[in-house]
Amino acid sequence: MATAPAPADAKAEAAKMDLLEDDDEFEEFEIDQEWDDKEEGNEAVQQWEDDWDDDDVNDDFSLQLRKELEGASAQKS
Amino acid sequence: MAAYLSMGEAHRRIGDYLSRVVNAISSSDGAALASLVAVSSAPGSTPLSDALAALPDFPRLAGDRFPHLADFLVPLLRAIHSHSLQRFADAYSSFEKAASAFLQEFRNWETPWAMEAMHTVTLEIRLLAEKADSELVTTGKNPDKLQAAGSFLMKVFGALAVKGPKRIGALYVTCQLFKIYFRLGTVNLCRSVIRSIETARNFDFEDFPVKDKVTYMYYTGRLEVFNENFLVADQKLTYALMHCNPQSESNLRRILKFLIPVKLSIGVLPKRTLLERYNLLEYADVVTSLRRGDLRLLRQALDRHEDQFLKSGVYLVLEKLELQVYQRLVKKIHIIQRQKEPAKAHQIKLDVVVKALKWLEIDMDVDEVECIMACLIYKNLIKGYFAHKSKVLVLSKQDPFPKLNGKPV
Repeated sequence: MATAPAPADAKAEAAKMDLLEDDDEFEEFEIDQEWDDKEEGNEAVQQWEDDWDDDDVNDDFSLQLRKELEGASAQKS
Repeated sequence: MAAYLSMGEAHRRIGDYLSRVVNAISSSDGAALASLVAVSSAPGSTPLSDALAALPDFPRLAGDRFPHLADFLVPLLRAIHSHSLQRFADAYSSFEKAASAFLQEFRNWETPWAMEAMHTVTLEIRLLAEKADSELVTTGKNPDKLQAAGSFLMKVFGALAVKGPKRIGALYVTCQLFKIYFRLGTVNLCRSVIRSIETARNFDFEDFPVKDKVTYMYYTGRLEVFNENFLVADQKLTYALMHCNPQSESNLRRILKFLIPVKLSIGVLPKRTLLERYNLLEYADVVTSLRRGDLRLLRQALDRHEDQFLKSGVYLVLEKLELQVYQRLVKKIHIIQRQKEPAKAHQIKLDVVVKALKWLEIDMDVDEVECIMACLIYKNLIKGYFAHKSKVLVLSKQDPFPKLNGKPV
C-alpha cells in the first residue's frame, strides 16, 4: 500500500485549509462606508419575546403529555 | 499572456504610477494614496503589472527617481509584481517591508491625513497574509504569514492608539487584529488591545466610526460568549445588531448567529419571522423545545446541527439550555395536574416526571430525576423542596417557576 497515503494526507490538508476559512468572519465594511445610524436601530432588535412562558397547555405537545400522564395514573389505580 | 510591451512604454507606465504615489503624498491626498496601495484586489494582469514584468530592472527605476521614498516604493512595486504572478508569500514579504516604511513616514506626519491609506495598508497586510498562508499550506510549507501580520499590525496599533488626532483610526486596526486572532485561534491576544481601547480616559468610544464600533462589538461580544458572560455578551451583540448597516444582511446574520444563543440562555426567544428572515432555522427546533419543554427535541436539534454549533463555539451554550427545558416540562406537568386535581397540584411525584421523560424517550430512574430537580432548585429555576422519602417534589405556592427575566441561569 505504499502508493496510497493520499487519502490521509488529503484529509489532513483539508483540515489545515479549514483553518484558513471562517464563515463567522465579519464582512469588511468599505473603508469609507457610512450609513444612517438610526436612533431606534434595526428592525431585528424588535423581534424577540420574553413573556412566552405562559400557562397554556392546549398545544399538541401538552395534550399528548397529558394523555401520557393520565394513562400513567390510570395504570396505577 | 500580456501583449508585447516596449521597454519605453514599460518605463513610462511604472514612472507614471510612481509619480501618482509621490504626488498623493506631497498633496496629502489620503484617498488617492489608499487606492494606489490596494494590491490584493488587483486582477492578475494590469497595465502596471505587465510593465513590471517587461522591465525586470524596475527597482532601480524607483530608487533613482525617488531615492527619499525608495524604502517604500521599491518593495511596493515588488509586492505588486509578485502578486500578479500569484507568488503570494513573496508578495506578502515585500508588502510588509513597504508597509513598515510607510508606517515610519506616517508616524512623522502630524495630521491624520493619510489615515485612509494606513487603513488600506492594514487591510492589505491581512488579506495578503491569508493568501500567502493558503499558498504555503498547499506547497507544504509552514503558514506563518498571518501571525507575522498580527505582529505588524500591533505596531500600527501602537502608532495610532496614542493621544491626539490619530487615535480615531485605532479601532479599525483593532478589528483587523481581531479577525487575525480569531482565525489563528489565538483570541487571548485580543485582551491587551481591548484593555487599551476600553481604558482610554481621553477618548470616548462613541467617537469612533460606526462601522468600526459595530465590528468591535461583534468580536468582543463573541469573546464574552466564549467566557460565558452572557449579560455582557447580550449588551455588546445587541449594540452591534442595533447599529449595523441595515443593508448588510450577511453581517446582521452573523451577529444574530451569536446573539440568539445568548438571548436563549437568558430566557428570551427570537420570533420565528426573525429566524426565517435571516435563514437561521438551525435554531428553530431549539426554540420550539424551550417553548414545549421538549427535551427530546432539544437533543435532536443539538445532534443534527452539532458540527455547525461546535464550529461557531455555541454548542456548550445551547447544551446548557437543557435546564430551562426541564423547568418548562415540570411546569407543564404542574399545570396539567392543577387542572385535574387542584388540591394536589403542588406535589409532583418524581415517578410522574420519570414517566414523562420515558415518553420523550429519555431513560432515567427516580434517583437521576431527583438529582436534576435538585439542580433546578439550586439554580432557582424551581422553588420548592423534596420529600425525599416519598419521592415527591413539593413546589412553593408562590411563583414556583421563577422567570429568568434576562438573567442567566
